[in-house]
Amino acid sequence: MPNFESIVFAIIQAAILLLIAPVFTGISRVMRAKMHSRKGPGILQDYRDLIKLMKRQDVASGASGMMFRIMPYELLGSVLLIAMVIPVFSLASPLGMAGDLITIAYLFAFSRFIFSVSGLESGSPFAGLGASRESTLGVLVEPTMILALLVAALICGSTNVGSISTAIAAGQAHSPMAIILAFFAFGFAVYIEMGKLPFDMAEAEQELQEGPLTEYSGQSLAIIKWGLALKKVVVASMLVGIFLPFGTTASMSSGALLIAAVLYLIKLLAVYLLAGLVENSMARGRFLLTSRVTWVGFGVASLSFVFYLAGL
Amino acid sequence: MMSPLSLLLISVLVFTCGAFLALLCYKSDRASIYLSGIFGVIGSVAGLAASLPVLLNDSVLKYTHAGLFPFTRFTIRFDPLAAFMVFVIALLVLVASIYSFSYVREYEGRGAWTMGFFTNLFVASMIILVAVDNAFYFLVFFELMSLSSYFLVIFDQNEEAVNAGFLYFLTAHAGSILILGTFFIFWWQTGSMDFEAFRATTLSAPLASLAFVLAFFGFGAKAGMVPLHSWLPRAHPAAPSHASALMSGVMVKIGVFGIIKVGVDLLHATTTWWGILVLAVGAISAVLGVLYALTEQDIKRLLAYSTVENVGIILMGVGVGMIGLSTQQPVLAVLGLLGALYHTLNHAVFKGLLFLGAGSIIYRTHTRNMEELGGLARTMPYTAMTFLIGAMAISALPPLNGFVSEWFTYQALFNMSLNGEFLLRFCGPVAVVMLALTGALAAMCFVKLYGITFSGNPRSEHAAHAKEAPVPMVIAMVVLAAFCVLLGLGAPLVAPVIAGIASSLAGGVAVNVAHGTLILPGNGEQAVLSLPLLTILLIALPFVPMIIGTLMKSGRLARRHEGDAWACGYIHEAKMVISSEGFAQPMRHMFSPLFKLREVLNPSRPLHAGMHASINGAARSEAVVDTYIITPIMRVAHWLGGWIQWLQHGDFRVYCLYVVAALVVLLLVTVA
Repeated sequence: MPNFESIVFAIIQAAILLLIAPVFTGISRVMRAKMHSRKGPGILQDYRDLIKLMKRQDVASGASGMMFRIMPYELLGSVLLIAMVIPVFSLASPLGMAGDLITIAYLFAFSRFIFSVSGLESGSPFAGLGASRESTLGVLVEPTMILALLVAALICGSTNVGSISTAIAAGQAHSPMAIILAFFAFGFAVYIEMGKLPFDMAEAEQELQEGPLTEYSGQSLAIIKWGLALKKVVVASMLVGIFLPFGTTASMSSGALLIAAVLYLIKLLAVYLLAGLVENSMARGRFLLTSRVTWVGFGVASLSFVFYLAGL
Repeated sequence: MMSPLSLLLISVLVFTCGAFLALLCYKSDRASIYLSGIFGVIGSVAGLAASLPVLLNDSVLKYTHAGLFPFTRFTIRFDPLAAFMVFVIALLVLVASIYSFSYVREYEGRGAWTMGFFTNLFVASMIILVAVDNAFYFLVFFELMSLSSYFLVIFDQNEEAVNAGFLYFLTAHAGSILILGTFFIFWWQTGSMDFEAFRATTLSAPLASLAFVLAFFGFGAKAGMVPLHSWLPRAHPAAPSHASALMSGVMVKIGVFGIIKVGVDLLHATTTWWGILVLAVGAISAVLGVLYALTEQDIKRLLAYSTVENVGIILMGVGVGMIGLSTQQPVLAVLGLLGALYHTLNHAVFKGLLFLGAGSIIYRTHTRNMEELGGLARTMPYTAMTFLIGAMAISALPPLNGFVSEWFTYQALFNMSLNGEFLLRFCGPVAVVMLALTGALAAMCFVKLYGITFSGNPRSEHAAHAKEAPVPMVIAMVVLAAFCVLLGLGAPLVAPVIAGIASSLAGGVAVNVAHGTLILPGNGEQAVLSLPLLTILLIALPFVPMIIGTLMKSGRLARRHEGDAWACGYIHEAKMVISSEGFAQPMRHMFSPLFKLREVLNPSRPLHAGMHASINGAARSEAVVDTYIITPIMRVAHWLGGWIQWLQHGDFRVYCLYVVAALVVLLLVTVA
């Protein structure tokens, strides 16, 4: 079993990500408002939303059963688990034995599975469609995500995400071109997972990824919104934690961790701003044509694999 | 304490007795249901008892009895692989027998006694098949297994079942002929029918490759790999559900067993491209199988297609194992075979569970069409709960068993991509991506299966008035669901045992796959995973939001879950909710070329065309025979008849003349 310190560290890391998640969705909303030339809500609006929803009654259709009820908690729980495993402030994974990159990919599948089932559970026409689209996006994004991570893992010789980021930070990774391309491919996958246009329109509730939420209200809705916000932060943190581990620390001294934390927040902010910029300059597309866009991401991932094989 | 071999013999004898006793009770279906069920339970307990000591001690037991002819030397070799197969068979048969006590009552009055006969015979032939060490008996029992399962497929005697049975019959026998070819090559080279002699001989490279390819496609037809899979989604759904569970859970594994037996045990996997062929066919089967499963509306057909997928995943592991053997990387070989064998066991458990769950649904609603179901989670809660566990396990969601075996397969592929020649480093990641795609598609497929069947509002009267399945059926499903959890959580205990079997196949190199609560692929540098820790966290972390919610509870009204879902102000109807077909429609659109491929691969059209051609040919040759043979014969007969008629035209005096003439002739003959 892991030692006590690493468990505490993992819990603190997950707690920090959980607490800052609504700030970053708030930043996204502010940025979108500015680009639409609206005044928009404040950065802290999502905290206010969460607190308000927590106090509201939980109303849902009679068809919704057990899975519908436990889904919000399981969703947040599974994403919290990923937040404990990925390297964010330290180079090593805080709790590497609870998940390597294959486990992480399947934990995302886990959250997607229960999210989609709960959509069908509510018996709502919109939620069912949302569930179908959510699963479809999962199918489209999974190959890109796995291939990009796999190239990095092969170059570093381990599927432990902490070992990968350690090797990349130390510059041990031969085939730098492959790593850079894998970074872009993974960034593409992250962008989809963050639920952005043209794949999703997060503020319009009856849309693709938020479709299964149609029948949720009150506390359940608050927990799900929080969970989805955390999921966005977690995938963005995977991008910066695994592929851009510069400034993160190998030592566990408080000073080094503080610097790492500040650098991490700056990198995360950059990812969010970039994603927001891309999103707001995108047009909506037909859902059935999404696969044509995702081929691009997969193409980049394949290219990085070819570069890896060539040893570049 | 009895020796494993005598227990194995007892198990086979009990199954055979069960079969014939069921036959004797043809007058009372109920008695034969109970008899065959009880004998099934006893036989499988004996089978489990026989296999466990061999598995845990890694021993090899042999028994030989000289038969009447040299080629019928009856040899039993109970090695770890055979014991593992017996364990998998016996485990699923035990559960299916308990299930059959209630389920087969559905068939009372429709010849349930024959079902008991064929089911027990089917199981007996499978158990003895994996243990025999002689090609002659192997083929005999293989044929017995195919035939008895054929009768289970056509049990319903309707057009669908008979057609499915026909296709199954043809495919199974085409496979048998290929396997016969393999054994013929061995016999030709060694002059013996004993596997022991096959094992000792070294075939020349082209001959060995030919033997392997014949066996691969022969057994592959039984395993249901693409492109020889078309019989499977027809035949498995046609059989009664507990028999479908056995066919999908166990019988297709006999095909995998055969591939391992010939490729690894007899031919020692000497050539690298064999492994690559198995890996490639496995990867293609996995993706196509699950893609076709996704668009099915019939529960049992969906599950049957998903069997094609899982056989593909197992074959990927086998392929990696064979590559490891041929390139002298024992760790890789053990990892690949470990992934394959672990998934064999897991698939038997969760596919058995899902087929039994489908059986419960059919038992209560009398439909296999998902579009007519819905909302069963409220009326059949135990079935729903166990089915959900099975669906999550088959989607490889952590921490259940399907995830563990796929994790090992991923690690084996990763290990293969790390070192070795260029071709292998290329194939590994491609296979990983296909496995990942399979995983995502499987998750979508089983979200659909569970969601459309058990969630939402009922779509028909049958579904609205369903009741929970009878107790024996629920017990059977709960046992299998518990195994889904235990084989996942208990991976640190289970993986070393299966790795022991794998290393006995791979030349006895021990590979460290577990350390304390951790599982690891040979070395801890590559990866480690603690499933107990993962499970604890997955259970504990959801309490965090729950506690936060409770803390902020003040003044909140109680939960209100009633009425219909929101439908833009219209009255909600079940038809508004997405259908099973609609759910999968994006996939149908995005992967349309692969769906066209299914039509191309479908052998039933050429088969039917062949049937028609032969019927037409027969009809035409019949005419030819008529004109040139039958008609002249008829004419001659007529002509003779005319003469005979003339001889015999009814005048009494002429008859008297005949008698006198005959007497005269006889007199002359005796005098002369």
